[in-house]
Amino acid sequence: MELEEMRNEWQEMSKKMERQQLLTDKLIIEMTQEKYKNKLKSISIPETVGTVICFLSAFYILVHFNKLDTWYLVVCGVFSMLYLIILPVKSMRSVKKMQRINISNKSIAQNLIDFARSKKQFWLVQRVGFYLSFIFIITILPISGKLLSNKDLFLENKLWYFYVPVLIVFMLVFSKWGLKHYKKATQSAENLLKELE
Amino acid sequence: MQKQKEFIKVIKENEGIIFKITLVYSSNEEDQKDLYQEIVYQLWKSFDSFRGNSKISTWLYRIALNTSITYLKKEKRNGNRVSLNSVLSNKIDQLDTIMEERIKVLYAQIKKLNTIEKGVILLYLEGKNYQEIGVITGFTVSNVGTRLNRIKQKLKEQIIK
Repeated sequence: MELEEMRNEWQEMSKKMERQQLLTDKLIIEMTQEKYKNKLKSISIPETVGTVICFLSAFYILVHFNKLDTWYLVVCGVFSMLYLIILPVKSMRSVKKMQRINISNKSIAQNLIDFARSKKQFWLVQRVGFYLSFIFIITILPISGKLLSNKDLFLENKLWYFYVPVLIVFMLVFSKWGLKHYKKATQSAENLLKELE
Repeated sequence: MQKQKEFIKVIKENEGIIFKITLVYSSNEEDQKDLYQEIVYQLWKSFDSFRGNSKISTWLYRIALNTSITYLKKEKRNGNRVSLNSVLSNKIDQLDTIMEERIKVLYAQIKKLNTIEKGVILLYLEGKNYQEIGVITGFTVSNVGTRLNRIKQKLKEQIIK
């Protein structure tokens, strides 16, 4: 069957189908209201909880900063605080940017370009965060040891022989999964952009 | 209140179009219900920008297609959903009786196309000319022609298989 014929049949079908009005006024209003509530929830809850935890941790380190009595603990403290403040902010901003794509009055091509770009940006932030988390794990351990039990883990062999190797193995396993996901996501964004060329 | 009334009228008059788009862009009934609701929400959100500014069909197809293309990819389904079971099931039942076997095959084949191709062919089948498709999608008229030829070829090959 030629596409022209299909087009005619399609339109015949559409005419019949469009005569059937099943939505009620109430249902249409409920749909918009319910969706609006869901949007607020889905944006606010997980991101806010994550960010608050990071900020509280950074604040805790800041309040007890004077307990970090060696230069290397100070370096670890500064890095951990920056990590706990900058990364959640960056991550939240990129997520919001992706969610906020305004689809009104934009052509499909432009919308897809914006979407693919914001998706790539989002995954770049996730990737940077992911690599920095290796350093974060090494810096947060001695900080925790010092602030919670007043021990300098750098002077204890356990840090280097046990905690760090265990965490690095964990991160390597996790990284395999994370990078696979990253590649897939950025590849699909790139494919989308290529399709538009 | 007036805005709400106008909006309800627009949605009721075009619920068939929204249904057809959701059918092409979703892989199961749950996704379809979710997408249907998302499109109505996005249409409501941009209703002010539409009023008087563009042709209603251009606005509606743009928002519905844009939503379909990006929504299912970026959002996890969560939160409450208005029950559309009866509405969508009735529509699907009606569609079964209305649709010729050939259109069913065509629908199945369209679902296999990529995101952009789905949108372009849908607009073509809906009776839009190259220029209108260009306005909605943002592609030039000649680009629309090239894409449609490619899609026709693809569909032919798929249907022959």
